[in-house]
Amino acid sequence: MAELLRTSGLTKRFRGLVANEDIDFSLDAGAVHCVIGPNGAGKTTFLSMISGHLPPSAGTISYKEKDITALSVAERARIGIGRKFQTPTVFENLTVWQNIELAVLRPGGSAGTPAAKIADVLEAIRLTDEVDTLVRHLSHGQRQWLEIGLLLGNESELLLLDEPTAGMTAEETAATGELVSRLARERSLSVIIIEHDINFIRDLRAPVTVLHLGRILKQGPFDVIAADEQVREVYLGS
Amino acid sequence: MQTVVSVLFDVTLITMVLALAAFGLAIIYGLVGVINLGHGAMLTLGAYFTWAGIDAGLPFFIAVGVAGVGVGIVGIAFEHLVIRHFYDRPFDTLLLTWGFFLVSTEVVKIVFGTSFRNVTGPFPGAIDIGIYSLPAYRTFVAALSAAIIIATALVFFKTSLGIRIRALIQNREMASLLGLNIAATYKLVFAFGAFMAGLAGGLIAPMLSIDPYIGNVYLVRSFFVVIVGGVGQLLAGTLLGSFFIGGAETIIALFSSQVVAQAAVFFIAIVILRFRPLGLVGGR
Amino acid sequence: MSDAAVKQNTVFVRPASSFWGGETPVAVVVFLGLALLPLFAGGYPVYILPQYLLFGLLALSLGLLWGFAGIVSFGQAAFFAFGGYAMGLVLQAGLGPEGTWLAIAVATLVGGLLAGISGYFLFSAGVRATYFVLITLALSIIAEQVAVSQSQITGGWNGMFVDRLSLGFGPLGEVALYQDVAAYYFVLPVVAAVYFAARALTVARFGKILVGIRENEDRMEALGYQPWVYKTVAFSLSGAIAGLAGGLYASHSNFVSPSLAGVLFSTEVVVWVALGGRLSLFGALAGGVLVSALSNYLSSIAPQYWQLIVGLVFICVIVFFKQGLAGLFADLAAHMLPRRPGGQRHG
Repeated sequence: MAELLRTSGLTKRFRGLVANEDIDFSLDAGAVHCVIGPNGAGKTTFLSMISGHLPPSAGTISYKEKDITALSVAERARIGIGRKFQTPTVFENLTVWQNIELAVLRPGGSAGTPAAKIADVLEAIRLTDEVDTLVRHLSHGQRQWLEIGLLLGNESELLLLDEPTAGMTAEETAATGELVSRLARERSLSVIIIEHDINFIRDLRAPVTVLHLGRILKQGPFDVIAADEQVREVYLGS
Repeated sequence: MQTVVSVLFDVTLITMVLALAAFGLAIIYGLVGVINLGHGAMLTLGAYFTWAGIDAGLPFFIAVGVAGVGVGIVGIAFEHLVIRHFYDRPFDTLLLTWGFFLVSTEVVKIVFGTSFRNVTGPFPGAIDIGIYSLPAYRTFVAALSAAIIIATALVFFKTSLGIRIRALIQNREMASLLGLNIAATYKLVFAFGAFMAGLAGGLIAPMLSIDPYIGNVYLVRSFFVVIVGGVGQLLAGTLLGSFFIGGAETIIALFSSQVVAQAAVFFIAIVILRFRPLGLVGGR
Repeated sequence: MSDAAVKQNTVFVRPASSFWGGETPVAVVVFLGLALLPLFAGGYPVYILPQYLLFGLLALSLGLLWGFAGIVSFGQAAFFAFGGYAMGLVLQAGLGPEGTWLAIAVATLVGGLLAGISGYFLFSAGVRATYFVLITLALSIIAEQVAVSQSQITGGWNGMFVDRLSLGFGPLGEVALYQDVAAYYFVLPVVAAVYFAARALTVARFGKILVGIRENEDRMEALGYQPWVYKTVAFSLSGAIAGLAGGLYASHSNFVSPSLAGVLFSTEVVVWVALGGRLSLFGALAGGVLVSALSNYLSSIAPQYWQLIVGLVFICVIVFFKQGLAGLFADLAAHMLPRRPGGQRHG
């Protein structure tokens, strides 16, 4: 599989605080990867640098073998990098249909009628019945799915999901895990997920990167990580 | 050299008067985030209340004080009836305060009529400093303005009341957990800003002919003073902003007309805003 | 005013219906009615209505900007007035009846360019909405000052005389609009055409994107859109419409003066749109026509009290009726008409 994303020496310093230090990370197309770590480890900062919301202090990011470090948020979205934010960032006062429509109407989208694309997305995120519902009336979990749906409609190839299961019930969490696996499998999407829910991560059966104090502590399959001494210390100690 | 010094005097006087006029807005906009498009109307009300007070026989400074209090009361009433529901919606407060301007201006027209009024200042004539002659009243107002602004800044930064207000503005949730009465504090700040505007209107009244739109001359200027100086920077921002706006206008007016100068300064201020959205002093 | 009553009325966007749904039928009926008006009413209404219609167009320019892009401008009058001055100046160049079309184009272009340039300057830097309002306020002051100070061109406070238009159709001859009826039947179709064009725009992709930017600009950016581009285009369009309205107004009323550029008139436009309804283009148009007409009429009777009432109603509308009177009517209509099965959907 081709390498989709690579970061080299990615570093972010704020005044007096190093949020990310020297992160070398690589992700193949169609792969799912979890990023975990205690609070303040720099997970969201890492995602923000990939999506373009934060400029790095040092290091480069390449996507599909092109250096994208200088590209803006909108430019990165257009080449396929989609981000789901920690707090659901959707259009609260519009309907589900209108939300996905905006994602689908993106500049430079692929061929096909918007209606067909929207229907396809609705099907994938299982919100077909809520087509005309105002988003503000959706449950928190449904909003998270909708936001993922926006990324699908936007034809993102790299999904950056920041805590997609936060606030979800156990059922919803399981459904989300199943959704993510299915998307990666059926649509060859790559996904980086920041998560705290251990069960979710285990069921995903995806490789894990542990961040601690801005650096990569360990990388590997979930079982190996879960058994690792250092990782346990970092989690229990914090 | 003499011209330079007298220009400097001019600029200083104009700066301090502008600072006084803008201060009420700096308080309301800077502290509780309300884009008070009714600020000009508050200045106007201050001027008219002062005129009415003098007309009723009050001595000048008492009339000004009463005017300030009067506008403060109007401010509290408006805050209580309308504004307090909209603190989290800056656009709506903007429009609502504009509505305040519309209503207030019409009420002034109805009660006082539209013809010009005049207020005579308490210190006619000039003060002579060496070869320079300064208008006595303006100099007095400039000095008073400095005193008021510094005094307020001291209260704001050094007293427990000031600290509580600052805490509230920085973090509403935390402040309420600490037992601060948010609603009352906002009311207090809003009222104080209105009081300041009324006071300024009264003090400035002798320098101009009063008509129902007089305050609006200072409206946009005041906004630029606050924004260019830095929103929330009560002391440094207001003074710096006033110095910039007032100074630039005065200097440009030397080479062209007042009207052109005002337009030019607004233009410059817009350009500055575009490149430095946090103002000259602001930066958080 | 209780908290509950106030909080209940948060902004609600009605789904962008297809072009022929929603307000369009109402607009069609009204415009047809207006087309028949000169058959029943003569004299003064036929004379004055085009001017109110052009105010309506000015209000529409703000309605498009405010209701859809969520951008408030306190400076629409500047484009209106400068469109008027441009019209006057081009007509003075004596290009004959064919030159009239040029004059109209120039008036529109002047409005569009002024808005486009300032919009580009401000939006590309991400100047936020609240500052933008203040800046437009300052711009209208600047515009008024420019109109006053460049008196050798504009006539200063004396204003500028602008002739009625004489439309040249080449070999087909020319149509002079000196007669009020002729002028009426020129202005009405222009206003209607601009309205329907704007309406089409709002239900098309452009309109939906504007709404998206209004609702959540960050999300739009993260979906690959560049908000400043759309805002600048929207602002340019609104400037162009205002310029066109101003040019035609100046010609119809034979006069343009600096007060048409300034803050007071600019803010009147905001009041028109707020009262008429900013989430509805036709509401904005109607607001402009009705409030200005009512203003003028009641002004002669009891100016102070009328303005006072307008001010109070304005406050009430902002507090309670975000959607203005158009929203009220739409709500009433929704209650009275039977619901279509499946509701309004994708169109």
